[in-house]
Amino acid sequence: MFPIDQYAWTHRWRGHHPAERAVLAGGMLLIAITAPPLATAPLVVLAMAGATVAGAGVPLAAWLRVMTIPAGFLLLSLPFLAVSLDLTDGVALTVSAAGAWLAVAVGLRSLAAVSALAFLTLTTPVAELVPWLRRVGVPQAVVEIALLIYRLLFILADCADATRHAQEARLGYSTTRRGIRSLGLLAGTLLTRALARTRRLEIGLAARGFEGELRVLASERTLSRPRLAAVAALLFTVAALGLTLDRALH
Amino acid sequence: MTAPILDAQGLNYAYPGGVAALRGMNLSVQRGRRLALLGSNGCGKTTLLLHLNGTLRPGAGQVLIDGQPAGYDRASLAAWRGRVGLVLQEPDDQLFSATVYQDVSFGPLNQGLSEPDARERVREALAALDIAELAERATHLLSFGQKKRVAIAGVLAMQPQVLILDEPTAGLDAPGVTQLKAALERLQARGTTLVFSTHDVDLAYAWADDVAILGEGRLLRQGGTVATLADADLLAAAQLNTPTILTLAAALREPGRPWPGGQPPRTAEDLVACLGERHDPGRF
Ligand SMILES: Nc1ncnc2c1ncn2[C@@H]1O[C@H](COP(=O)(O)OP(=O)(O)O)[C@@H](O)[C@H]1O
Ligand SMILES: [Mg+2]
Repeated sequence: MFPIDQYAWTHRWRGHHPAERAVLAGGMLLIAITAPPLATAPLVVLAMAGATVAGAGVPLAAWLRVMTIPAGFLLLSLPFLAVSLDLTDGVALTVSAAGAWLAVAVGLRSLAAVSALAFLTLTTPVAELVPWLRRVGVPQAVVEIALLIYRLLFILADCADATRHAQEARLGYSTTRRGIRSLGLLAGTLLTRALARTRRLEIGLAARGFEGELRVLASERTLSRPRLAAVAALLFTVAALGLTLDRALH
Repeated sequence: MTAPILDAQGLNYAYPGGVAALRGMNLSVQRGRRLALLGSNGCGKTTLLLHLNGTLRPGAGQVLIDGQPAGYDRASLAAWRGRVGLVLQEPDDQLFSATVYQDVSFGPLNQGLSEPDARERVREALAALDIAELAERATHLLSFGQKKRVAIAGVLAMQPQVLILDEPTAGLDAPGVTQLKAALERLQARGTTLVFSTHDVDLAYAWADDVAILGEGRLLRQGGTVATLADADLLAAAQLNTPTILTLAAALREPGRPWPGGQPPRTAEDLVACLGERHDPGRF
């Protein structure tokens, strides 16, 4: 139903400590932003694609799908960086070499940064990041609401799917007008179901001693030294290779 | 006889809006037994169970825990829910966390256990239901049967003396029911008292130690499973069928002969065993 979420829960590196992936993605992000882009950015994209697809086992198609939206957005906006507007002598649009170079540099950097984030997105469920929020000072109540919304989202999406299928089976979407009416009914159903469900959830929570605080334990996962070493080695290699190539290019 | 571990006496309850769901309901839960609440849809099973852990407060009547009237203040309720665990019918109503491990840890933490103790409870509860390998899974990506067992584990982790389950087999396939029964039998062997509601007469007949027959918000009768479910008039009054195995066995028995083994067969295997002892081909 939400494919990204599904990959994030089921990929091959799921059992590893999430900090290992965070260090990898964070390191690559840092390299992408600071190192000279022409040589380094493609290396970062390559490394992150490799980690996502070959490493974590997320299908290439999923990675491409996550990459296309930001990439398309970049493609559309970068030409405006290359063009400069000169108002001193009427209105003049010029494409300067410096401008074009800037656009390419920004484009490459952004793509590399996006690939690092895509890796993290496809391998780490949102819900796993939420408990982190508490540690960086987000109020307990906000974190709890975020977790409950995450959980209810899937229940309601299931419910919406089932209701829509039932409506379709009875020709609820056979014309546009009927479709709009059916959609309205669906929204009403979802609201009442959501309310009823939260009431029952409350009963279930109270039965387990809920007194206003949703405290849970994350399972213990140990950081693996060999894997952290591999992450460091990969980061170092990409940075060093990028700098060497860059020197060769000039 | 010792005092029942839980005793409901003359409970009345009407939902807001006026539906009288319980009308003088009685029930006594004996320690260490497996008690089935049997009744047709809408007869008040769920409502009664919600009274047994203090979720609902009766309009009249009282609930006794070990012979002592239950209190409804915060501290009493917390202690009550530590002793009496309730598993809701619909697991999605109960599982609120993203992962199985997190969800099962919720109850023990609420009991004020330290982190290592809570982790030990989680480990034990997952092992007891044979779902240790689900610990890291997302709750929303589980099958219905898996969700059901996770929901039970979440309550079990609090180590209640009485485990109450609302329609535990509803929606499960045959292997799911078999696994669930095996897990509950292991719990009972370790001393947990089990109470479950069902409208499945065959399940109650084959598996419960005692049954309580409910009808229209009242207890019609409570007693040993075989004796109680042999009363056809009682079952008819509760709009329940006679257990299939019992109907078959009665049709196959030679009139007047005592049951082989002194009691009617309760399962298909029992029935087959009876047929092995027959004198007249086709009868026993
Ligand atoms: N939340 C509720 N609000 C109003 N009436 C309810 C509610 N829950 C149950 N009832 C009514 O109370 C009666 C008993 O319901 P319940 O205890 O759920 O029965 P059972 O579990 O045996 O099917 C039914 O008539 C039902 O319609
Ligand atoms: Mg019910």
